[in-house]
Amino acid sequence: MCGINGIFAYHYAANPIDRDELVRTREHMAARGPDGKGEWISKDGRIGFGHRRLSIIDLSQAGAQPMLNDDGSLSVTFNGEIYNYRELRRGLEAKGYVFRSNSDTEVLLHLYADKGEAMVHDLRGMFAFAIWDERRRRTFLARDPYGIKPLYYADDGWTFRFASQVKALLAGGVVSRDAEPAGIVGFYLWGSVPEPFTTYQAIRALPAGTTLRVDQIGADTPRRYHSIAQVYANSEIAARSRNVPTLAEAQEHIRHALLDSVRHHLIADVPVGAFLSGGIDSGAVVGLMRDAGQQDIQTVTLTFDEFQGCPDDEAPLAEIVARLYGARHATRVVTRSEFEADLPRVLEAMDQPSVDGLNTWFVSKAAAELGLKVVISGLGGDEVFGGYPSFKDVPNWVRLMSGPSHVPGLGRMTRAVCRPLVRRLGMNPKAAGMVELGGSYAGAYLLRRGLFMPWELSDVINPDILRMGLDRLDPVRRVGAQLRPTPASAHGKISTLESTLYMRNQLLRDTDWASMAHSLEVRVPLIDSVLLQSMAPIAVAGLKNGKSLLAGAPATALSEAVVRRPKRGFKTPIEEWMRSAVNTPSARGWSKTIAASADSLQPSLRKPLPAA
Amino acid sequence: MTEAFGGSGGIAQYNRDLLWALSKSNSVSEVVVVPRLGSSGGDALPTKVRQLDASRARTTYVARSVSAAMQSWPFDAIFCGHLYHMPLAALIGRTAQVPLWLQTHGVDAWRRPDPIIRYAAEHSQLITTVSRHTKRKLLAWANIEPERVRVLPNTVRPMFSPGPADQRFMEQLGLADQKVILTVSRLSSADFYKGHHRIFQILPSILKFHPDARYVIVGDGDARAELQQDVARRGLSSVVLFLGGRSDTDVLSLYRSSKVFAMPSTKEGFGIVFLEAAATGLPVIGGNRDGSADALADGLIGRMIDPEDEDALTETLVSALAGSAKADANSVGRFAFENFARHVDDLVQRLAC
Repeated sequence: MCGINGIFAYHYAANPIDRDELVRTREHMAARGPDGKGEWISKDGRIGFGHRRLSIIDLSQAGAQPMLNDDGSLSVTFNGEIYNYRELRRGLEAKGYVFRSNSDTEVLLHLYADKGEAMVHDLRGMFAFAIWDERRRRTFLARDPYGIKPLYYADDGWTFRFASQVKALLAGGVVSRDAEPAGIVGFYLWGSVPEPFTTYQAIRALPAGTTLRVDQIGADTPRRYHSIAQVYANSEIAARSRNVPTLAEAQEHIRHALLDSVRHHLIADVPVGAFLSGGIDSGAVVGLMRDAGQQDIQTVTLTFDEFQGCPDDEAPLAEIVARLYGARHATRVVTRSEFEADLPRVLEAMDQPSVDGLNTWFVSKAAAELGLKVVISGLGGDEVFGGYPSFKDVPNWVRLMSGPSHVPGLGRMTRAVCRPLVRRLGMNPKAAGMVELGGSYAGAYLLRRGLFMPWELSDVINPDILRMGLDRLDPVRRVGAQLRPTPASAHGKISTLESTLYMRNQLLRDTDWASMAHSLEVRVPLIDSVLLQSMAPIAVAGLKNGKSLLAGAPATALSEAVVRRPKRGFKTPIEEWMRSAVNTPSARGWSKTIAASADSLQPSLRKPLPAA
Repeated sequence: MTEAFGGSGGIAQYNRDLLWALSKSNSVSEVVVVPRLGSSGGDALPTKVRQLDASRARTTYVARSVSAAMQSWPFDAIFCGHLYHMPLAALIGRTAQVPLWLQTHGVDAWRRPDPIIRYAAEHSQLITTVSRHTKRKLLAWANIEPERVRVLPNTVRPMFSPGPADQRFMEQLGLADQKVILTVSRLSSADFYKGHHRIFQILPSILKFHPDARYVIVGDGDARAELQQDVARRGLSSVVLFLGGRSDTDVLSLYRSSKVFAMPSTKEGFGIVFLEAAATGLPVIGGNRDGSADALADGLIGRMIDPEDEDALTETLVSALAGSAKADANSVGRFAFENFARHVDDLVQRLAC
């Protein structure tokens, strides 16, 4: 886990790259990689890479980056982990490739030399990297299938720049800060900025599961090499010719797939710890770590003074789980004063505006205090195993509303009539849009996950930015685009939407900035393309009680107390603390606090939103 | 195209360069040009290029374009040389099912256009802009993948090269032994952003340091009278010289004989005159808010200042008039036609994919 950046003066009219700019961008990411730093600039001065290193695999200098191959024809800067690098290395060695290090980085160099851009299909892991190919005079960039690792770029027409963080690109000092209306509107709609947009017009996210080629005429259109919707759709076709597995078969299959993923995610030359809440996801993952052979497991849980003795306190259950699996457990207490003291640093570290991430900030801080560089997280369990209410709500809404929503004009009319009523009755403002949006998966999902609804934004955002942003973002169409090809099963559809929207744009991005601010790598074995490939046939065959199957996956299953605990999310008193710190207890109010603290969002603010 | 062979001005020159580049591309077998203005009578056309008669009237131009498309069928792509021609180009392109390539120059592409033009532009497979600034301004209103917008800058003609000052010519103009600040541009009422008035404003301050400074303005247009009145009002008629439109040879002599070229513009699409001046070794000063930054190569070819900052402009001009530094003419070499032509070839190949 590291910070990467690069500059490529691809256009004949561009000046050679500026080493100082390269270093400024890299050093903005110092926290991502406190163990080392490096830069490489080509002899002709047209391209350069920077790297900040958090040493996890091959701690020696041989693993330093940017890394070149023997003849200097390839150069790579890489952020992430390739969990199957040992298998790949064996295959490459059999073909005659000679390795100088034990790092996964070198595998990328030789794999590219061997397979070219098709190499991405062989990679299992979380990654964002760039490879300079001197012979072809082009740069190749890639990002992992789920978008666990970030990668942003800016192409001004002469020079291409990329980095692990938006703010790092800006720190270089030459990338335009013009606002991107679609990113701003997207933030208010979702609570996070939907990729490929950022809040800056000049900076785009390389979409998850895509590659990008940059040659002498600039960046090409990103090419998709992995699609979650496609995996589900393919599995559904394959499932037609198979028998529905029994519960026992499903359990065994899931156990095997999960164990394989966890085992791969434990590969490291430093100790690997784990976040542990009182929930199924993290508990099952810790159990599987034990099954995978890890004897010494350091786990960490957050707790809060306010929750002592309350059902919201995760600590007692987490301690039970830690004892069950023989983990060394630490419970870290976060206080209101610590929250208030950390808030300015949180806002500084937040790379793109987000209404979440505070919990990850504190639990990452706690893990770093324990001396951990790497932790395993149970993130993704709800998306893969159907743990969110959306897995029931959205199909129900679609079933109920598919008729009314197809009556021309009825949706808008209902919204116009119901909106004042909903407001007066103190109901959720989204209710007014049920007929208009509820009839399709895309619309219903927007209702389920939206922070504000599109029709509410005129109260919040400057009208010009709103018009441009909605026009460019086209929210319902953009949600629907994730479902191409469309999985037939409700689980396939919702899992795809949750994975490609909420998890990708909110949870994973927040996990990245909040953990990297503490120089901590978070690994997510439940979010793994090989696991998805293995799980999808079971899931689309009618996965019932998916979370129970997850709880039963470790050889020693999680206790009933954990499994039957009502889903509460990772509850904290942070909302209450926000009330005193920034006078806003809701995510909606918090979004405006974030907006006020983000340079790029300030022009968009219009006036305070009426209380929901 | 608005105009190419037989046309005058920067856009016509750009289009001629483009047509020469297309004629050199191995991926191109024939180019049929339908111009709005200009007759190719006197110009030698590049091989593979056929230019039809100009049609100034809109209806005739539309009819001629459609007719040319029908007669040239089958063809592989449509190039549209101006944003305002895009609805016509898009209509023909859609009918013929071929990719569209739109070229934009400057302020025409900076404002959000009418919906029909915007819709047509957003359906281009390729949009080229003359500068990074124009690309940025276009992407502010166009809902189009940024990867479809490329920068294709102007080229500088080889005639603009270093050489000795033309003393006789300067004597004829009454500028012998004077320190000349030079601006070359159209004097159109639509082009007040060129910044002549900014130099008028600071001339008295400059004269305190350099009493022998003179401001020479080359170019003509409907704004000339107004600019001259402005100069008279300020009592600067003895130090500001309007030379009107001049031949390339005269302009070359002026570049070689002046002390500094200055054009503190705010809405420059690119600013080819910066390159022409710098190619002769003349130090150049331009703004940092528009396409000038490209012609000045972010400060490597010439000085970039905030055009609204009078102090910075004064200080830079005073310093330039005092010094004997020359612009690095070699740094202009990047804008040579050969590089332009190679880039055009790359773009054509990508368009064909």
